[in-house]
Amino acid sequence: MNLKSMVTFLAVTYGLIGIMPLFVGDSVIIMRILTMILIWSIVASCWDVIMGFAGIFSFGQVAFFVIGAYSSAILSVSLNVPPVVAMLMAGMITAMVGVLVGLPCIKLAGPYIALVTFAFHMALKPFFSGPLGKAIGSGGSRGILSVPPIKIFGMAFSSAELVPFFYLALFLTLICSGVIVAILKSYWGTAFLALKDSEDFAVSLGISAFKYKLMVFGITSFITGLFGALYVHYVGILSIRVLSGQVFTTLMIMIVVGGIGQYPGVVLGAVFTVTAEQLLRPLGIYRFVIMGGLVVAVVLLLPDGITGLIRKLFPGRQEKESRSIETHKSSLEGVG
Amino acid sequence: MLKAVNITKRFGSLKAVDNLSFEVQKGQIYGIAGPNGAGKSTVYNLITGFYPYEGKIEFDGRDITGLPPYRIAKAGIARTFQIPKTFPSLSVQRSISVGSRFGAPGGLDSAHVNEILHFVSLETERYQKTGLLNLLGKKKLMIGAALATKPKILMLDEPMAGLNALEIKAMMGLIRKINSDLEITIVIIEHFMKVLTDLTETLLIIETGRMICCDAPEIAANNPQVIECYLGDTYVEC
Repeated sequence: MNLKSMVTFLAVTYGLIGIMPLFVGDSVIIMRILTMILIWSIVASCWDVIMGFAGIFSFGQVAFFVIGAYSSAILSVSLNVPPVVAMLMAGMITAMVGVLVGLPCIKLAGPYIALVTFAFHMALKPFFSGPLGKAIGSGGSRGILSVPPIKIFGMAFSSAELVPFFYLALFLTLICSGVIVAILKSYWGTAFLALKDSEDFAVSLGISAFKYKLMVFGITSFITGLFGALYVHYVGILSIRVLSGQVFTTLMIMIVVGGIGQYPGVVLGAVFTVTAEQLLRPLGIYRFVIMGGLVVAVVLLLPDGITGLIRKLFPGRQEKESRSIETHKSSLEGVG
Repeated sequence: MLKAVNITKRFGSLKAVDNLSFEVQKGQIYGIAGPNGAGKSTVYNLITGFYPYEGKIEFDGRDITGLPPYRIAKAGIARTFQIPKTFPSLSVQRSISVGSRFGAPGGLDSAHVNEILHFVSLETERYQKTGLLNLLGKKKLMIGAALATKPKILMLDEPMAGLNALEIKAMMGLIRKINSDLEITIVIIEHFMKVLTDLTETLLIIETGRMICCDAPEIAANNPQVIECYLGDTYVEC
């Protein structure tokens, strides 16, 4: 997708989400859904950047989210750090952890990266619930129950006041989306794609695989950690339940439905998945059966997710151009 | 300009490159030939830093042993691959600018990228995704991206493989033009003797990682040892 259509797509999607509170600001359930859409859309976007664009099969996305959440919660509860500062520090801590996890992944190929990063994810549960976690203030298996709201100029932002928090989340979402677009459309993004397509060819042209792979780990885990922190100050409580397979699966459904490597399609994936999960809630655990079936259907019928479907229905300029080149060629051949 | 001193590469007990030394002079077209599995591509992978090795490689008087591939690319050694490699996610123009942005000394040089698109005659395909190119197109793209790094030396790995007679002629023309117009030293691995005798000034023949001979191509091609390793000893006239 070119820059213009990417920005238009994001502006329209987030714009529509942004004006929703004017109509449904009174509905607690809808406001909660909208806020979670914003948070998950960025977390899933980061996953799409590292997996879809850089081609690194990292399964550590939820782990980074949780590290950001715990960091900010521990900093603000145990050390009384103001939440805004704690959130930024949480982002940085997560970025550092991301780079450390990225280091062994540089030399590894696809499925092995998934194993290493998922092992890291699995290790977090015993860490936070065990004595080590308790020592740093994770609250063990009980978790942290009183994470303070975010305070900016004396105003408190938390789930007690849904509309203001929604706009704070929207503000951060827009900034981070801007950063993601800027990265993808710059030569950094080109380096990610080049390394994914052919690492040998890319490094033979002067791209440092080491630098750009660590960079993608660092940037995506910073943003993910920041949103983990945002989430924890929103809900006010945190336990190791966030590390459950359910969160992981939901996130994965978002990028599959949106289309892997089809950013910003993943934003629509988040809108769809969060809403569907909420609507299917009366079905209890059976909603996962439906969601699972949906993933199978999407993978089989729409390999590029919703984005692929949209592209099929409304072929953009690029396709038209390449088609006109083809017809031009064939007409030339006809003459020859 | 490029000097290899006693380089050896072992894969387990196999010596793929065995105590090999050679020197490429500035401005040359230097050929490397040898039967399948002789270690030609491995030599390329050693020079461009893809594998660690024993021995020493100097480039422009500078020791480049042990440098990672991207540093060697920035130092002025560009290469292509035997099996064409492209960036299917990127357009032709973007792929070539990757070389310019990351490999060239001054960073991205759009004017230079345009010149290269013209030079390798990929102008009409510039906005196409690289996956749509045919074999010759892919090879030209690899060369174009390599040239965009403004190299001092270009190492081609079997550029003629899979091409028809007409395309081989075009490719030979292109290689000559790179050497004469752009003044880039060329090293070429090739199987077609005709291509080598036509193009190169010096020909290095290797077998099982060892040098058999290194001479002017007409002389090298008539060397009894070379004929033996290519065709078997029954063809050697006594």
